[in-house]
Amino acid sequence: MSAEAELSAALERHGAPSARPTLPWRRIAARLVDAALPWLLPVALLALWFAGAEQGWISPQVLPPPQFVWDTLRDLASNGDLWLHVSTSFTRVGVGFAIGTLIGLVLGSAMGLSRRLEAYVLPSFNALVQIPVLAWLPFVLLIVGIGEPLKYILIAKAALVPVALNTLQGFRQTPVSLREVGEVYGYTRRQQVLEIVLPHAVPTLFTGVRLGFTKAWLSLVVVELVASSEGLGYLIVYGRQLFQLDMVMAAVIVVGAIGYAIDRLLDRLEAAANRHRPGGKR
Amino acid sequence: MSAMKHLSRWAAAFAVALACATAAHAAPDTIRIGVATAGGGDPVTWGGSPGGVARANNWLEEEFKASGIKVEWLFFKGAGPAVNEALSNRQIDFAYQGDLPSIVGRSNGLKTKLLLVSGARNNLYLVAPVKSQVQSIKDLKGRTVSIFRGTNGHLVAINVLAANGLAERDIKGVNLDTGSAQAALVSNGVDAAFGGYEWFKVRDQGLAKVVYSTQGQDPAFTRQASLLVRSEFEQANPAEVQRVVDVFVRAAHWSSDEKNRDELFRIWARSGTPVASWAAEFDRQPLAVRNSPLADAFIVARYKAVVADALKLRLIRREVSVDDWFDTRYLKASLKKQGLEDFWTAFDAKGQPAAGPSVAAK
Repeated sequence: MSAEAELSAALERHGAPSARPTLPWRRIAARLVDAALPWLLPVALLALWFAGAEQGWISPQVLPPPQFVWDTLRDLASNGDLWLHVSTSFTRVGVGFAIGTLIGLVLGSAMGLSRRLEAYVLPSFNALVQIPVLAWLPFVLLIVGIGEPLKYILIAKAALVPVALNTLQGFRQTPVSLREVGEVYGYTRRQQVLEIVLPHAVPTLFTGVRLGFTKAWLSLVVVELVASSEGLGYLIVYGRQLFQLDMVMAAVIVVGAIGYAIDRLLDRLEAAANRHRPGGKR
Repeated sequence: MSAMKHLSRWAAAFAVALACATAAHAAPDTIRIGVATAGGGDPVTWGGSPGGVARANNWLEEEFKASGIKVEWLFFKGAGPAVNEALSNRQIDFAYQGDLPSIVGRSNGLKTKLLLVSGARNNLYLVAPVKSQVQSIKDLKGRTVSIFRGTNGHLVAINVLAANGLAERDIKGVNLDTGSAQAALVSNGVDAAFGGYEWFKVRDQGLAKVVYSTQGQDPAFTRQASLLVRSEFEQANPAEVQRVVDVFVRAAHWSSDEKNRDELFRIWARSGTPVASWAAEFDRQPLAVRNSPLADAFIVARYKAVVADALKLRLIRREVSVDDWFDTRYLKASLKKQGLEDFWTAFDAKGQPAAGPSVAAK
């Protein structure tokens, strides 16, 4: 920063018009501020956490000091426990999310293609999805038992809903003008769908998939609450059971970091897909 | 609003808060008791402890009515862990808790004192589906068994397995809470489950059978529950603590009288657990043994053993001192006041009647 200041000062000494040379400096500063803004809240919260722990505002058993949480996190990572929990949770969310997305895409497309099917299925679907995961639990437990399928099903259900609804919406929002163009060209129904409806629906589909992932990841804790002896959700539940809130916080940090990273990844993919979207022409 | 005015308002608010805080030290306006169970009924109460009798009969409320002190009962669906959180946040003053959760709290730095026992020798059972091949603990080898990990039932289950030559890794342990365990067992999702008296209801519906019971076995296989007080509260309000202990001792006395057996179970049944379940849980066990408030050598030994087991299973990370945790001054005073010094039998570390002082020497 001081180099920048020197440069602009030097330029000013050379009698250059003052507005021009400060421009790149300002642009860099503006970019720096832009980059820093998203960090403002987390840094402030972290500072509050440090200060709160230091001053004893909250009991250390309920909100352990950051240093303690960090040590616990490192402990978990170094004795291999963390990887066991992360890989278990990853498998569960991976399988559940894949199943949920697949069913969601198929169901959403089917409803999108057939108004009649939509009329038959959508109201029941909407009613059923309002029931929270926890309420489904005893019922699903009775049917599939307490093994891994139970977790897959509950995570799949969480992912399915936004995917199906967004897919349906994607199918429904094709602009009339585009459809008319298809008609002018004498497109068959199959061509209509493949050449016009689907390409136009891609961004909406992606939003659905992204939302689906968020929901799947969020359902982890609830799902691992039951009949589980490993996984990040279990770590949270068990840490609370043993009054080791440092373990809970460590698990929360890992869950948050992984969820954030994957969301970013999907965001990139979505942007890439959008770039290749044919804006009606193809 | 000017900054100065703003500041002065804050100062005033702070002064009021401070005044309230100091006033609270003089005499509490509310006594808050946290109970480590969801409880049931209306008003909410719980069973299996003389404390439930004091609660159902409003004895504490009556005791403090004249002093204008309100009594608040708080029931925690999150059981022991939630009670620990509430203690830590100073949201409750007294806590009724099982042995392991209170030890977990103490190992994490909660400052509490153990006043008296309120529900001793709670049994553990192994249940299986009615048509199951499982006949004994030994049959569990290689089978799927529900254990609620991190609870005192977990510790006892491991000791029961060990007594039958099995280690935890010899069975396929599944971590299930009480409700899920019942659903899983009924749907044959597990081959067997460890649990407490809550299973009698399921058994009486014809959905499960009891394969093993700690009744009549080594009393080391039982679980204890106690009344604790937050140290800070105890130091500030010794008179109120004494009165609470008096009421709990009175409840323990009433609950130890065999002629009250049916009435006791009916009072406990208000919590939603039927009379038949209590009758089964207390079958052929003297009420005076189960409801004794004494922190005798047996109780101290049990708490020490639970500390050792919890350390071994890494449920706690630090050693917990037990001897300086029991504060039986209040209990002794109550027993003396109510003429009950020789009413209950003290037991030795093995759980056998001991000739000696009725309250652990402390």
